[in-house]
Amino acid sequence: MSELFPRKQIMGFVFSLILTAAALTVYFLNMSFAKGMVVLLVTAFVQALLQLVVFMHAGETNDKWVIYGKVAFMMAIALITVFGTLLIFLWDM
Amino acid sequence: MEFFERFAIPNPSLAIYISMVAIALTMVAIVAGLTYFKKWGYLWREWLTTVDHKRIGIMYLLSALIMLFRGGVDAIMLRAQLAVPDNKLLDPQHYNEVFSTHGVIMVMFMAMPFIFAFMNFVVPLQIGARDVAFPRLNALSFWLFFFGAMLFNISFVIGGSPDAGWTSYFPLAGNEFSPSVGTNYYMLAIQISGIGTLMTGINMITTIFKMRAPGMTLMKMPMFTWATLVTNLIIVTVFPVITVALAMGTFDRLFGTHFFATSNGGMDMLWANLFWVWGHPEVYILILPAFGIYSEIISTFSGRNLYGYKSMVASMVIISALSCMVWAHHFFTMGQGAVANSFFSITTMAIAVPTGVKIFNWLFTLWKGKIRFTVPMLYSVGFIPLFVIGGVTGVMLAMSAADYQYHNTMFLVAHFHNTIIPGVVFAMLAGLTYYWPKMFGFMLNERIGKWSFWLLSIGFCLAFFPMYITGLDGQARRMYTYSEATGYGPLNMLSFIGAGVMAISFALIVYNVYYSIRYSPRNIGADPWDARSLEWATHTPIPEYNFAIEPHVASSQAFWDAKKKGHELFPGKLEKIHMPNNSGVPFIMGAIFFVWGFSMVFSLWIPAILSILAIFACMALRSFERDHGRYISVKEIEETETKLRGVN
Amino acid sequence: MKVDHSLPLEYSTKQNGLNIFGFWVFLAAEIMLFATLFTSYFTLEHRTAGGPNGTEIFEIAPVLIETFVLLTSSFTIGLGVHAMRIGRKKAMMTFFVITLLLGLVFIGFEIDEFITYIHEGATLQTSAFTAMLMTTLGTHGAHVTFGLFWGTAILLQVKKSGLTPETANKSFIFSLYWHFLDVVWIFIFSFIYLKGMM
Repeated sequence: MSELFPRKQIMGFVFSLILTAAALTVYFLNMSFAKGMVVLLVTAFVQALLQLVVFMHAGETNDKWVIYGKVAFMMAIALITVFGTLLIFLWDM
Repeated sequence: MEFFERFAIPNPSLAIYISMVAIALTMVAIVAGLTYFKKWGYLWREWLTTVDHKRIGIMYLLSALIMLFRGGVDAIMLRAQLAVPDNKLLDPQHYNEVFSTHGVIMVMFMAMPFIFAFMNFVVPLQIGARDVAFPRLNALSFWLFFFGAMLFNISFVIGGSPDAGWTSYFPLAGNEFSPSVGTNYYMLAIQISGIGTLMTGINMITTIFKMRAPGMTLMKMPMFTWATLVTNLIIVTVFPVITVALAMGTFDRLFGTHFFATSNGGMDMLWANLFWVWGHPEVYILILPAFGIYSEIISTFSGRNLYGYKSMVASMVIISALSCMVWAHHFFTMGQGAVANSFFSITTMAIAVPTGVKIFNWLFTLWKGKIRFTVPMLYSVGFIPLFVIGGVTGVMLAMSAADYQYHNTMFLVAHFHNTIIPGVVFAMLAGLTYYWPKMFGFMLNERIGKWSFWLLSIGFCLAFFPMYITGLDGQARRMYTYSEATGYGPLNMLSFIGAGVMAISFALIVYNVYYSIRYSPRNIGADPWDARSLEWATHTPIPEYNFAIEPHVASSQAFWDAKKKGHELFPGKLEKIHMPNNSGVPFIMGAIFFVWGFSMVFSLWIPAILSILAIFACMALRSFERDHGRYISVKEIEETETKLRGVN
Repeated sequence: MKVDHSLPLEYSTKQNGLNIFGFWVFLAAEIMLFATLFTSYFTLEHRTAGGPNGTEIFEIAPVLIETFVLLTSSFTIGLGVHAMRIGRKKAMMTFFVITLLLGLVFIGFEIDEFITYIHEGATLQTSAFTAMLMTTLGTHGAHVTFGLFWGTAILLQVKKSGLTPETANKSFIFSLYWHFLDVVWIFIFSFIYLKGMM
């Protein structure tokens, strides 16, 4: 039975719960907007990375760097799109 | 009767009625012809169900050529309307419809399938693969494109064409100002073909990364393959954006949301923003494969390997990244602040640098080369100076402060045609002439080809250079007429004459195809241009498995090395070859998507829901199907090879 | 079909490797799809046109349950893939079934959430904000719903033909999809709900 529950996966799950709890502090504690956003950004991206590496096995084949590179490129363009748009419509309008 | 009224044309004219009759007659003629010559089975077995990348490439090519003529007729109508002041050839509504469909068709349904034609046909051959990674998905991509294009094209005879420009800006494209179903067609037709494009992107990236011949490292890929890889990377990055934007636009028009409305908190400029997040990279999606084709042609006809291979690759990668951070230069005048405009101004100008690197690399490839001025080479050499003019005016437009003067004028129209025609269209015609012998087994006539090149170049200059001047003088784009007092008349007449010359050139290209089918010699061998990369290393006509033995590669011009330096290209021995089976599902799915799109356009919910269910049924069918392809035996390969060697 | 036994079953044929790689590229495209939705959401977030805003309609309890359910399902499908790799067909199927049931619970809560919104006067037509909220959540929900059908189809195939290179490949790709939806949910949870309630 125990071979069905490898340590790596369990640790991953526990860690993702911890990250979720950490993110929840922005709701339960009275934080400034800026501080809250930092907490959310950190917890969300760490959580994403955790899923990518632990659960999605992104690094297990020879295509490791292509996959990581592709995801990183997409994330970069995604962030540019989000923040570029915010710059145009909200911060510099 | 009430039910059918919605399909009527809101703004009919004699020309549209004539087109209706023409379309009906053409369809009857096609059906009758196929039946008379008993070609239905052939059409279904060999083309509609094919998953062969070469045939799909050829189908893309034919669709692109047909759409080129549809878009070209639109262009002639526009120029004819503007040829003289206060012209009444088209009324304002028709003018709006014609420039909208001209733009969409030329970008989405002419240029895109044209580049896909070459990607599909050439890339698997260039990397020494048997097919693309997902042959059936490839067929589905094609049929989605095809039925998307058909859906868009029926708009002008059923329900009315879109009339809000190819950019379809809101609030103009909203229900309030565009009450006809035209813009619904725009949203759904582009959506359907866009999904196909996204799938092609996934397919090509996987093919290039995972299916290269032994020895072909990334830095030994031919330049067109590199261009395809980078292009598809951009496709996968930005097509999801237009998918979302079109879905939101569809919701606004069909389900009463207020994303892009001017009421209930909607933001019309968000559409423009999302559109250009996709739209600007889209122009690089068109131009990078063109650059790839020029690289192949210039290297072949200079008799030299490409100068600055690494910088060519680097510049394409840099262009791909920069292209995704310049979109706001399309609406500098919207009213955002100086910081935003400065940022997008600088990134835009920065793109000129890697592009300049490429131009110099081509020039250095020509330097000291043994240049052969064939038709493909003429297009490539003509491209360099003309494209530079387009690029330089692009840098002018990139300056946000100066853009307030250029914005929405004919200057802009001149600029982007100046990049797209010498950039993309010349490349497509060059590629067409270059790869024609590999596709069809005979060459296009060089003499007629040269005539069409010169007519096209001269016609292009006549048609578009005057627009720079009228644009700076203040002639706005998308205005259906102007008064005599503006003084734009003579230059617009010149443009019209130029457009006419271009039309003659395209007619000559068609004549060239006809002439060459009749008179060109057929025994041209596998390598008529004395070329350098793998696609020329297999027989003409290409056997369905492309290469009997997997090629082994040691440089970016393996075939040249094999010819001149004794490199052994096919060291292995024959083995049985695994090939995918044909399937009718992609075609059927495309057709169902067409029905879905059409039902959505007219808000016919029951057929729309039924077609969605049918689409899922097709997907489930695919999931449960056990289709492991088939094998071609060694004996069969030997027979084919002996036969093909006999031809050459 | 050549089978390479040195690799996990889901990678063991050439086509299998292509499928997994291709699916990664598809997921990369999905990143941009959701990024576009987020872009639009952030732009329209405060444009409520007199309708309700996020603080008024978001409730922490159902959101927390949804998050916990989805995180757990991501964990169980991870266990499912592990069981598959050590050749335990039955355990693998059990974990996949649990995953799909959790997905069903998630969808149930999401539907309930939507009904509540509509009762509170936050419909698709109310304002740009509500429309964007429902589109973003709806796109994720539609992905999960699609996943439920897809996962069921794969389970039926595993049941019928056992763990073959083909079914293992499909199951692994499905697990990638499911984990990805979990990642998207984390972003929705953080930047729509928590940011809205902060």
